[in-house]
Amino acid sequence: MSDTIITYEPDNSLKKGYLSIFREIFNELKENRWLTYQLFKRDFFAVYKQSFIGVFWAFIIPLVSVGTFIILNRSGIFSIGDINVPYPIYAILGMAFWQLFSTGLITGSNSLVKAGSMIAKINFSKKTLVVASTGQSMVAFLIQFILVGILFACYRIAPTIAILLIPVAIVPIMLLTLGFAFILSLLNGVVRDIGNALSILVTFLMFLTPVLYAKPATGMLASITKYNPLYYLVSTPRDLILMGTIPEWKGFLVASIISIIIFVVCLIIFHLTETRVAERI
Amino acid sequence: MNDDIAIKVENVSKKYCKTLKRSMLYGISDIGRNTLGLSSHSEKLRKDEFWAVDDVSFEVKKGEVLGIIGMNGSGKTTILKMLNGIFWPDKGKISIRGKTGALIAIGAGFHPMLTGRENIFVNGAVLGLTKKEIDEKLDDIIEFADIGDFIDSPVKFYSSGMFVRLGFSIAINIEPQVLLIDEVLAVGDLSFQNKSLRRLAELREKANAVVFVSHNLEHVRTLCDRVALLNKGKLNFIGDTYEEVQRYEELTRNIRLKNVRMNKRIGKHMYYSSGDIEFLEGGIMDESGNSTDEIFIEDDVIPFLRFHVNNPIENAKISVAVRSTHSVNCIWQYSNDKDRKKVYKLEQGEYLLKVRYKNPKLAPGIYTVAFSIRDQKTGEIYEKNIGYMPTFKVTGKAFERGIIYVESEWDVKKVDIIND
Repeated sequence: MSDTIITYEPDNSLKKGYLSIFREIFNELKENRWLTYQLFKRDFFAVYKQSFIGVFWAFIIPLVSVGTFIILNRSGIFSIGDINVPYPIYAILGMAFWQLFSTGLITGSNSLVKAGSMIAKINFSKKTLVVASTGQSMVAFLIQFILVGILFACYRIAPTIAILLIPVAIVPIMLLTLGFAFILSLLNGVVRDIGNALSILVTFLMFLTPVLYAKPATGMLASITKYNPLYYLVSTPRDLILMGTIPEWKGFLVASIISIIIFVVCLIIFHLTETRVAERI
Repeated sequence: MNDDIAIKVENVSKKYCKTLKRSMLYGISDIGRNTLGLSSHSEKLRKDEFWAVDDVSFEVKKGEVLGIIGMNGSGKTTILKMLNGIFWPDKGKISIRGKTGALIAIGAGFHPMLTGRENIFVNGAVLGLTKKEIDEKLDDIIEFADIGDFIDSPVKFYSSGMFVRLGFSIAINIEPQVLLIDEVLAVGDLSFQNKSLRRLAELREKANAVVFVSHNLEHVRTLCDRVALLNKGKLNFIGDTYEEVQRYEELTRNIRLKNVRMNKRIGKHMYYSSGDIEFLEGGIMDESGNSTDEIFIEDDVIPFLRFHVNNPIENAKISVAVRSTHSVNCIWQYSNDKDRKKVYKLEQGEYLLKVRYKNPKLAPGIYTVAFSIRDQKTGEIYEKNIGYMPTFKVTGKAFERGIIYVESEWDVKKVDIIND
């Protein structure tokens, strides 16, 4: 084994310049694939092992939220709007894509705090923790697709062939989630208010975004929705499954570009400052 | 860096913040500055910050074992964490040759719900092993931990002993080129400890260098080639193991003496006075008759007591004891004991008592004196005092684990038993 010399100095990453950072990050993620997988597996089993219904908890949250909306709608308190597919399918699909973002964001932003003692004692790639924890929302997403399949069978309708494009269509929302998770996990490591504020904010955002109701045509909510990238990121994969087309492709494109920029910027910030966490966590 | 140097630490400092709220603010501001490409000016202290490690430099040669000793809060663990790259220095530079492994975090990252076997994979991966390496070492790790069938039970059902044994077993089976060890040798029962020490010796053979932090001076003496002594974040001395350990012992003695002086008394206290006699001042003296708090091991111990007699006493016997901080009477004599038979007639007025205990060779440490005056016939106590007299320190290079130092001759021979 050849002897490589490692050096530690203050503001170390900066001295190498911004350009070499990309390669550093890429190599780090590549080298730590197996570690990421192990951490993912650990979190996965940890959540579901001491539980009777296990992974099927992933069904409960969308069912309860959608059920609530159905009751609100039937009793005339809230108008879901004009939707041309059975509402449960529309809503459950929306929730599946939404939760990709919301669960990923919450578990991701808590990932460093949860591993606090480990971070303070072992030197390892902190990025793996964040990536692994957002993997949990991926699992929940896949499980929820079983529910979607059951609903399609119940209503005797079929998804369009464009469902095969879903793995690509969810890339932007995954990048956005990861990007925010990186920066928020870091800030949460230093200031715990972030984690608390986030769970409230995510609920608020869900009601603000047409996930469980149709896109409103008029009013304040309509103009907010128009500039809400989350709406495009959630509704586009849903439209792909239900209609086979992307009616609002411009919005989706812009939202995707924003997501990529946020992801890259946050990843770099995380890379530059991750060593700050161990001393403050 | 020269080829024969494994670790080089140059003028390294690290600061901590004393208050949590400010620490949060500073954290955010550091993150902000680093992001924008500004220097975080880590070399300056902000409000409520202090240097936990202050301008420390040392080198560890290839094949060398360096011990770091010092009191709690002297910065030992902070240095070790910087060597491990957990966080970076605020000033200075650390260079390390080869892959670093640490026996710092035993069982950190174990998940209680996963089985021991599953945790080996997770923990091993976190510690930097690849899948292939873990597959190769799995049997060794399980065998070393020696926890039987429990390896396939969730870790939450483990006893605390099994937990640390498994953690230690994983950590010690990584074969790093630079090994960092923090106070972890006292794990498990005696046979496990022995096994660990053996394994550690093997690791030392293979490793480029070892840095060992411990309070256990016995382990430091056995394992280390050189020792660095830290005090309040500063490197006091670095050098020969025995000399540094002794310097450290001297340092702890000084601090204990200071603590005792500041009324943090050690040991059992007892005080009684009948009012007939009043103790004014006590302690020990040096050869010129001045009160002192430090003597050398070769010196005579001379306790003295000034006392005032209020009511005359016909037959008084006096006792003088030298006590260790563990409340052991190292020396304790009465004036009327068999070989002296001295009983005093005390009139009203002030007296000075002086006793010379000749060359007792008390082991270096902290001691105190205690006095009592009783009636020789009835045994009634006029005044008695334990634990209220000033403490003093015995200084010396002699190394002794007990309470008195003696020079010794040793002889071990095989004895042939003759069978008739």
